[in-house]
Amino acid sequence: MEPDIENEPQIQVKFVTQQRKYAVADSAILVPAKLRRYGLSEIINHLLGYEKPIPFDFLVDGEFLRTSLSEYLQNARLSTENIITLEYVESMLPPTSLSAYQHDDWVSSVKGHDQGYFLTGSYDNNVRIWNASGECLQTFVGHNAPIKSVAWVSIQDEDIICLSASQDRTIRAWHSSIADKQCDVLYEYRGHKGSIESISISKQEELFSSGSWDSSIRIWTTTTTPDDEDGSDYEFIENEKKRRKISKKKTNSIIAKKSIGILMGHVGPVSSVFFDTKDSAKLYSGGWDYSIRTWDIESRTNVDTKNCDQVVYDIAYSEKSGLIASGHADRAVRLWDPRAEDVAVVKLSLVSHQNWVSAVSWSKNSPFMLASASYDSCVKMWDIRSKSPLYNLRVSDDTNESRKKLLCIDWSKDLILSGGEDNRLHIHSAKKFENPYTKESP
Amino acid sequence: MARGKTYPVTRKRKVAESEFPNQKKKPLNKKETEKNSKSDITNNAKTLSNKKHDVSSKHEKIAGNQIKGHYKYNRNRYQIVNTLGRFDDEDLEEDDDEQSGLWGDENDSDYIAGDSLEDMTRQQKWQPPNTVGNIPMEWYDDYPHIGYDIDGKIIMKPAKGDELDEFLDKMEDPDYWISVKDNLTQQNVKLTDEELDIIRRIQMHEIPDANYNPYEPMVEWFTSKPEVMPLSAAPEPKRRFVPSKWEAKRIMKIVRGIREGRIITRKTQVQKPRFYNLWADSDQPRQDHPMHIPAPKMKLPEHDESYNPPAEYLPTDKEKEEWEQMDSEDREKNYLPQKYSSLRAVPAYGRFIHEHFNRCLDLYLAPRIRRNKLNIDPESLIPKLPNPKDLQPFPTTLTFSYTGHTARIRCFSIDPLGLWLVSGSDDQTIRVWEITTGRCVYTWTVGDIVHSIAWCPNKDVCGFFAAFSNKVAFISPFKLCDEEMYVVTNRYVTAGHNQIQKDDKKKSAHWSQPTEQEKELGYLVILDHSHSKTVKQVTWHRKGDYFATLAPDAGNQGILIHQLTKHQTQQPFRKIKGLIQRVMFHPIKPLFFVATQRYIRIYNLIKQEATKTLQAGVKWISSLDVHPLGDNIIIGSYDKRLCWFDLDLSSRPYKTLRYHSMAIRSVSYHKRFPLFASCSDDGSIQIFHGMVYNDLLQNPLIVPVKILKGGHKVVDSLGVLHCEFHPTQPWIISSGADHQINLWT
Repeated sequence: MEPDIENEPQIQVKFVTQQRKYAVADSAILVPAKLRRYGLSEIINHLLGYEKPIPFDFLVDGEFLRTSLSEYLQNARLSTENIITLEYVESMLPPTSLSAYQHDDWVSSVKGHDQGYFLTGSYDNNVRIWNASGECLQTFVGHNAPIKSVAWVSIQDEDIICLSASQDRTIRAWHSSIADKQCDVLYEYRGHKGSIESISISKQEELFSSGSWDSSIRIWTTTTTPDDEDGSDYEFIENEKKRRKISKKKTNSIIAKKSIGILMGHVGPVSSVFFDTKDSAKLYSGGWDYSIRTWDIESRTNVDTKNCDQVVYDIAYSEKSGLIASGHADRAVRLWDPRAEDVAVVKLSLVSHQNWVSAVSWSKNSPFMLASASYDSCVKMWDIRSKSPLYNLRVSDDTNESRKKLLCIDWSKDLILSGGEDNRLHIHSAKKFENPYTKESP
Repeated sequence: MARGKTYPVTRKRKVAESEFPNQKKKPLNKKETEKNSKSDITNNAKTLSNKKHDVSSKHEKIAGNQIKGHYKYNRNRYQIVNTLGRFDDEDLEEDDDEQSGLWGDENDSDYIAGDSLEDMTRQQKWQPPNTVGNIPMEWYDDYPHIGYDIDGKIIMKPAKGDELDEFLDKMEDPDYWISVKDNLTQQNVKLTDEELDIIRRIQMHEIPDANYNPYEPMVEWFTSKPEVMPLSAAPEPKRRFVPSKWEAKRIMKIVRGIREGRIITRKTQVQKPRFYNLWADSDQPRQDHPMHIPAPKMKLPEHDESYNPPAEYLPTDKEKEEWEQMDSEDREKNYLPQKYSSLRAVPAYGRFIHEHFNRCLDLYLAPRIRRNKLNIDPESLIPKLPNPKDLQPFPTTLTFSYTGHTARIRCFSIDPLGLWLVSGSDDQTIRVWEITTGRCVYTWTVGDIVHSIAWCPNKDVCGFFAAFSNKVAFISPFKLCDEEMYVVTNRYVTAGHNQIQKDDKKKSAHWSQPTEQEKELGYLVILDHSHSKTVKQVTWHRKGDYFATLAPDAGNQGILIHQLTKHQTQQPFRKIKGLIQRVMFHPIKPLFFVATQRYIRIYNLIKQEATKTLQAGVKWISSLDVHPLGDNIIIGSYDKRLCWFDLDLSSRPYKTLRYHSMAIRSVSYHKRFPLFASCSDDGSIQIFHGMVYNDLLQNPLIVPVKILKGGHKVVDSLGVLHCEFHPTQPWIISSGADHQINLWT
């Protein structure tokens, strides 16, 4: 073996990383060209002096190294005499499917909570709370139309307050205590004239916004305000059946709330709203008018508009990277920098999906990790340092020739939750490798 | 006959001759008389009568044109005159004789001497004149006589001398050579000087008569010289001084002809020099003419053609072999370099004739004339169309399908905001779908095939018309609209309910309120046509109040225009020509389009008149759509054609596109983007870029951009039945016979 190594081509590589804790000396090192990810990872671990190896992934020219170095050079037609700069990142473990919770109808919206609860909205007009063991803890019945969006407000000692927005143009705030399996409607938010597509709650949990097909964005409060009125005037509806229903509701004394603010600006249906998780005065929204807008909540003004040429279906803001990701009808995930005010350029465009990207979600732990769900029933995990997806999760069974659309995705903690046309809430674990060294350090 | 003709001539001659011999011969007469008076008085007297008769016989001879005889006659006549003169004029002319004798003495003596001698011999041989006339004398060869004299007595043949006599005569007689034989008398006659002279003149080709003057001065009977005195003294007439009217007329006729161009005057001819220098400009260099092709030049000899080329040019044996094995056409050079020790050793060039022949062929076959070949790149004839990539956005891929129907879907309609889709199918259901997710929100079962469905274009009203059997129902999916909108819709649609009662039964359509059950489902009003034919189409006016229904089989009541708010029905056409395929309202103007099998008629609804008829040139129109700006329409036809009409341009199609392989079922314009589409039984949808410019001078730009295939299966030779663009996005939705509705983005 020894003489073989001597004869094998060697390449000069330079290891760099953006994670300072794993930094090694940035001098060029000669490594055998036949090395793959595993070999290179071993070298880094050796350089760092770790006894328990941490797997690393390597990026060359913005692409993950999935072949040996020599093959990469061959494909890229590079000379072996060049110094190759390899960026290494902590390796993401391949996501594994944990479970799938069956619903009665399409799952249109999902939100996970750090405490291990999952909130789902479904096309059967019901909102459900699940726990990690797959039990449906609570079902909120009351909406007259499919739920389009859900959001957590607070969970305090099994007292859960959550919001659901529906196609029946109302948002409801639900209260539930898991212990006694009781649920009631706190408020009913009325005002929108079209189906509500998206709601987003601010960091302080007092304000939330909703985007609707009537092309308006409304701001609501979660707290009781004096101008709230109970009941509603449904008198104009001649339908007796409906009136009966209304009277029933009246006995429940639902507090109907009106919006405290309205943001008009979109010229088409608003498909998604997202509160800035750092600055609760900032709101981002995307709509069918191909624009992603930044709003100032206090002044109720449209601060910034970024245009592309495709319908925006979902946006997500990452606190860690400060970027907005958006899912589009042209199968692309686009990344925007809201801080760049002067130019409305797309920072990055990630194209790999084969159909509309219906939902996007950032990882809360990493500034680089992103998950997107598409109508092609695929969940893709992206590392935004690379243009190709990191992992590709085929959710629905391949036996069915018509692919089930995925409608929602949420990356909460280590779990990727996705739901869609196949009536199931899919849960995948998306973990980084447990780092024994970093655990001690913080 | 011949005799009678010549007679006057002889008479004339006789007159002419009788004049001058008298004077001339008078002295002769005198001498003769003196001479004869002595010896031959009796003889003379005796011969007188003979001589007188001789005159007539001589006349006979002359008539026979015997010139010899004629002159003989003359002589004889002299004799006659002489003898007569002797008797008649003897006394009278005695004085004259003496006078004349003065000048003619010497001459006479000779003459007399000769004459008398001759007379002597003649008198010896004298015979009476023969009267046989002009007959061949051979007839008398066997007779002893030769004829008869005037008295009918036989004239005996004169004694004919033998050869010896003849010879002696020839030898002795000095006149022998000038004597000829008189055939009539069978005797030799000596020719006189006059006769000889005549002969000579004839021989010399002169006029025989010596006295005839051919150059006599001409008598000018009609003279060219003007008379000094005119024949008429009348003054010159006026017309000599007045320009001729007739000429003026003729000239004017020609002038008119020239003006009108009938007569083309000859151009003034440029005087060409008769001879010119053919090579005058031959020494000047030829002008650079684009068509000039110089004759091909001969290749100049190279080094290796030398008789003694340098060694490096000489081929090796291998090269030689190769060269010889090569086909003569493939050879680079048609010779092999060869080396000779001296020029003397160079043999005659073997290929000389061949090469010169080839050179001649080169010259003669060389293209001396440049052919004007049309060298057009066919690519350049294709109209420059923009790249479809620059014309984005347009739908390119199938996004998903709306599944749920169980039979072919003939129609669907999209709500004006582009959020909901309502479709009607052969499975007798109507479904409402959420466009972005493909979720079926509503389902109604109507109990008949849904032929047409149309969402109300009024954005305040939430609902649509569905046409099934002979009914049209307004259905409102109230879950989709907010309460306010629901109330507005309800009021809007049912406002006319109280007017329904007034309607009498003769109306062509009956508006009715739905039952309670139907109301629960969302039916707001139902329109029953009085005919029992299927309503195939329902279409809205842009404001959402008026709508038209079409039942092609229902004859006059086929096209009805209804007003929703007042629940009224009008029948716009008393008589309907042809089979109506499709009707449509103009998006802006009060116009109404009616597509029959072959024509599209445009009616003005306010003026109530037909304004235009468009001729599509197709066999069977299947569908029609009007551009949102209203100046252009497209039609699809069952014979695979898609025609674009520019209403301002012509009543004929501006463009006819034939790209489908099967019948076109539906055509559609996009309301916002410059797009239009056609769908066909071949299962494909074709997307075109159709830009209409505000500039009237610029024609619409039509570019085919995409063919959407594979979304629909062809079932029972039916493919895509309907297609419609999303009202706000560049998406197209299509429905097919394969029970699917597809969304393409």
